[in-house]
Amino acid sequence: MIRNEPDTSFFTVDIGMWAIRDVLRDFPERCTNVGIYEDGMLSIAAGMARRGLVPTVFGIQPYLIERTLEQIKMDLAYQKLGINVVGTGAAVDYPKYGYSHYCAEDVQVIKSIPGCEFVAPGTAKQFIQLFNQSYRDGKPTFFRVSDHPNTEYDVDVSFGKANVIQTGNRATVIAVSVMLDEVMKVCRGKDVTVLYYTTLEPFDAQTLAENCPTGKILVVEPEYEGSLLYDIHKALPGRPLRIEQVAFPREIFRNYGTYQEKMAYYGLTAEKIDEKLKALES
Amino acid sequence: MTPISKTLRKEALFLSHKCQDGNLQSVFSCLDVVWTLYDRIMNWSPETAQDDDRDFFIISKGQATLALYPVLIEKGMFSMDEIAPEIGQFKSRYCIQTDLTKFSGGIENNAGSLGHGLPFAVGIANANLIKKSPSQVYVLCGDGEFCEGTMWESCIFASAKKLDNLCVIIDDNDSVGAMVDMGSFHAKLTAFGFDVFEVNGHDMEETEKALRELRGMKNGKPKALIAHTVRGYGSPTMTEHDIWFHKAPNEAELEMLVKEVDAF
Repeated sequence: MIRNEPDTSFFTVDIGMWAIRDVLRDFPERCTNVGIYEDGMLSIAAGMARRGLVPTVFGIQPYLIERTLEQIKMDLAYQKLGINVVGTGAAVDYPKYGYSHYCAEDVQVIKSIPGCEFVAPGTAKQFIQLFNQSYRDGKPTFFRVSDHPNTEYDVDVSFGKANVIQTGNRATVIAVSVMLDEVMKVCRGKDVTVLYYTTLEPFDAQTLAENCPTGKILVVEPEYEGSLLYDIHKALPGRPLRIEQVAFPREIFRNYGTYQEKMAYYGLTAEKIDEKLKALES
Repeated sequence: MTPISKTLRKEALFLSHKCQDGNLQSVFSCLDVVWTLYDRIMNWSPETAQDDDRDFFIISKGQATLALYPVLIEKGMFSMDEIAPEIGQFKSRYCIQTDLTKFSGGIENNAGSLGHGLPFAVGIANANLIKKSPSQVYVLCGDGEFCEGTMWESCIFASAKKLDNLCVIIDDNDSVGAMVDMGSFHAKLTAFGFDVFEVNGHDMEETEKALRELRGMKNGKPKALIAHTVRGYGSPTMTEHDIWFHKAPNEAELEMLVKEVDAF
């Protein structure tokens, strides 16, 4: 992108320099390690967007989203200026760093500012697909990339559209981003519908409305529980719903350990998905 | 005061009266600088307000946005007949802050939260460099606003990127003095890599001369103009009574303040 499109620019907030050392060297005007200041950086990127450039900022999710909330609101959303923000680390990809580096609230924070987009690819291929489809759409678009992608399921995805992985009659499972592999360990061959969401804002209400015959829904999301409840209710107006969730509980995580330990402790596992699904079907 | 300084102030008073809101002390302190920019310095006119290579005026001290309308009225961009009846009304596009999305030319940014306009202007200046555009960027900041961390963050960037197409104007009406001892802006900005000039911000000739000189200094250093100003300049009542930091004149006050401006 940097090599071929002269109106694009890339800023890293001192993250990932080794991987991009060539473009940092070859395109110093448009590709820069700016130093560590996410809030000012987002305003600067907004100013560049005001002049028709397409900036992308790369950093660590909580600093890109929470430290910068007023910049997102004022400089991007209010002025209708588009940039791309790519964040690493959420929700618990830095498992030993403590609460400063966790960001299970990212989806809800971005959803609270109208006009923003939130994308959570489940694999590297899907990141490229979703980025290519949205990076010039003139909106503030936030990408959450993960160190723990799906390895079994790597379907093609489209921005703003959920994938129907399988259809069934007993319940609808909403698998978000990197949770698809775990969901399919349980659901493969079962008489349940599985919808795969990688664009969380805007939420694809139509695909859910067309694939929810029972009103029984299991949401499996690698973020705080309830992050998609508003969208689900809005997609199915007037329907009696029974909703179960496999997600991070709304608490401050004070533990360390590994990513896998965290996922197990908070129940983002195939076993918990199976248990919740059985409860839902009963 | 010059006739145009009086005209601009009386228009700002009238708009504040019609809107029944505003921060007139702050507006009066920066009006002479804003007029000097639009009238004598910037490559800008209503006809070229959407040209890609126009100069940009970014307002960072959003509480003084009401200074912009009189200047743009006198430059022929907007008309008082259009603004006065609707300013502040429910569906108006004019109020004491701006909404960029309601305009095609003339308004370059939204302000209100402090500490946003300077980094935004730095982004525009950096884009100008990438686009190889001759467009210059002027950004009006308050001295009190420099307590915000984003101001200094963007100074680091402007200096590192050698943005000599950027001119930061500090409307130094000693607001920050009531909060903290900020020390010397001149020394601080010099240390951050800026060329720094200081002027009496109510002297248009002195301000013009400094801005012209700064504009000509293409040496890879961002520019800063510290404009020493007085809150409420042009009205003794406003200068003396800080209630006019945030107060709109009623009918009688409007008449009284207009007389003061005329007599100043």
